[in-house]
Amino acid sequence: MGLTQALLRVGAARPHVMIASVPGGTEVRLAAEAELRRRGWPAAPSPADADVLLIAGNVPGELDDPVAEVWRAVPAPRARTQAVSPDEVPAALDRARSLAGDLSRQRAALPVPGDPPDEGEGPQAGGGPGHKNGGPGGMQMPGGMDMAGGMGMAGEMGMAGGLRVASRGEDRDGLKLDQLHVPLGPFLPDWPAGLVVRVTLQGDVIQHATAGFVGVTGEGRPYWYEPWLRAAGERADVGEAARRRTAAYLDSLGRFLAVAGWDLAAVTARRLRDESLANAPEATLGPAVRKFARRVCRSRVLAWATRGLGVLSPAEAVAAGVGGPALRAGGDVCTRYRQWCAEVAEAAAVFADRSPADPGLLEGPRGPLDGRAAPSAGLVAVLPGLLAGAEFAAARLIIASLDPDADELAPAGVGAGHGG
Amino acid sequence: MVASAPPWAVVLVPVILAGFAFAAAAADGIFTARAAGVRLTGAVAAAPLAEVARLLAGQRRATPAADRVLWRSGLIAVPVAAALAAVVIPFGSVTVSRMSVGVVWFNAMEVLTWAAVWMAGWGANATLGLVGGYRFVAQGLAYQLPLMFALICAAAGAQSLNVAQVVTAQAHLWFAVWMPAAFAVYLAAVYAFSFLGPFSYPAGRDLAGGVMAELSGPDRLMLQAGRWLLLTAGAGMAVPLFLGGGAGPLLPTWVWSAVKTLAVLAVLVWARRRLPTIRADRYAEVAWVVLIPLTIVQALVVSLVVLTRGGVPL
Repeated sequence: MGLTQALLRVGAARPHVMIASVPGGTEVRLAAEAELRRRGWPAAPSPADADVLLIAGNVPGELDDPVAEVWRAVPAPRARTQAVSPDEVPAALDRARSLAGDLSRQRAALPVPGDPPDEGEGPQAGGGPGHKNGGPGGMQMPGGMDMAGGMGMAGEMGMAGGLRVASRGEDRDGLKLDQLHVPLGPFLPDWPAGLVVRVTLQGDVIQHATAGFVGVTGEGRPYWYEPWLRAAGERADVGEAARRRTAAYLDSLGRFLAVAGWDLAAVTARRLRDESLANAPEATLGPAVRKFARRVCRSRVLAWATRGLGVLSPAEAVAAGVGGPALRAGGDVCTRYRQWCAEVAEAAAVFADRSPADPGLLEGPRGPLDGRAAPSAGLVAVLPGLLAGAEFAAARLIIASLDPDADELAPAGVGAGHGG
Repeated sequence: MVASAPPWAVVLVPVILAGFAFAAAAADGIFTARAAGVRLTGAVAAAPLAEVARLLAGQRRATPAADRVLWRSGLIAVPVAAALAAVVIPFGSVTVSRMSVGVVWFNAMEVLTWAAVWMAGWGANATLGLVGGYRFVAQGLAYQLPLMFALICAAAGAQSLNVAQVVTAQAHLWFAVWMPAAFAVYLAAVYAFSFLGPFSYPAGRDLAGGVMAELSGPDRLMLQAGRWLLLTAGAGMAVPLFLGGGAGPLLPTWVWSAVKTLAVLAVLVWARRRLPTIRADRYAEVAWVVLIPLTIVQALVVSLVVLTRGGVPL
């Protein structure tokens, strides 16, 4: 066995996995995250750190190019794999690991020098989307983002190294600074599936932003809403709805805390989320959830880091159609995550309640399902206003504290009842 | 008394430093696994070695129109700066360099990372890396002055910039005991210059890894190893500066140096996941309004004690 093969084998024992989650793929993503946590495989923060690209769910046509772009940014040795249902996740990961550690198959997949780069090269452990060459304005990821600005080449406006050079504009301090047009999403770590926020950056300050979902096909099941949708027809009990709500908020909190850089709390949120969905006994889960919520709620450092960011007053929230915890919190990022904590602690108290849920009294984790626009549509609508003028880190915290869910926009789901 | 090691011992510095860094990374993996509810096995403890293998076998990523020279020199400079900073740290009763301005040397090597990390961020010619590189500079503006005053406290207490003299001056009482503010500020700065833990802002997950976002293979190994080597060098330097160096009962001095270094590392690694990332814009406020005055007052107290009593406050 050669040295390279040995290194490859050892390195692939614990591959770093990037999960590309697409609208409608929530259940698969949850299964994948839980499986990675159990195996102790790290989640890659960017394609450059990934060995395995795991596509969670069915990729809608609109997301083919972005997926291909992410795949091109993954360095060898690499493996692409896909799971379209939760049961497929362990096998998909196993396949990917053996592929990533196999020197001959990796060598065979390397592109011939001189050939134009194409996502078709490179090993695949599972179905993959076709590829149409994305133009320069295509969806971009951290890898391969077209950063052409800030090079200080005032005399050479136009092209540099095949990239457009940034234009300039007034910034908030009255200086003339380079403007970069950067799309964020749809595949970033700890980022809502399918969300794309296009920002104009000067330095790390966002001057202008637009937000929207891509890849919403209407076929996805709004996973977090299942008990509520079911309550309209069959019976779901209060305890089941409370578990799902707890898991939904813990999922949002996990993302938010990861963006805030509080690793330990993020891992705890995700572990409790998985236990909540796996029907862990309420005698141990309830107190653990309440303890976690109390600790996050009381953290002074987190409050200090998030106070004053992304203020959304109740009046603005109502006008935009925002409901649920974001409306009830009626304030900044800090009040919003504290609202999640409070509601999680509340829901954890009724895990054991087996009485039937009253569909009239219940609402989904992000707002009421009353047949009007989905609550997440409102959350996306307020984003541009909240992001303008925010620094990059603050913008990520604002987005994570609202955490819009693309699945809600699936027309077959919200308001219409779910036929199973 | 701290004696000079033979010149060839300089090659041992990176080896010993890497050994401690591996121990720290292994402990970090164990803490992570425990939090995730994963069963602890030998593989968890050996994960840093597997990670090195993974990155050595990995392909280097190229970005369009990257400034390769700047990029790669920045990446290499980070671990090199850590190793150079460590040459003035006495290990037990020997030290590779007994230079008269050891404290300043350590500080200067750590300041090298300002340029290095910024170059690593800029060179990739990609937005997130660039923002990450600038974040490190912003963070530097916040942590550097309090750190320098903390170092001045230790130097003033010993009336010398020579690290061996600083150790000798703590024969009766550790500086950590009567300079607690300087010690605390120093430990926070160790996180800051290794951009780990609450000061991982330049490599934040919100930036998809920031300065690390475009790095793969050996390039990534270089910067990731550099961070852990810097953390280790910082922990190692805390021992002679504030914890009495190799002094201790019964055991040989080198054992005490190792034990104290591991203890500081253990605290830093344990605490690193327990706090959210502190953004440089918020930390700058605290650093300039609270920490700089605090460390100046600390330095004043130290100076007065030295002037009136000629040494330790006892």
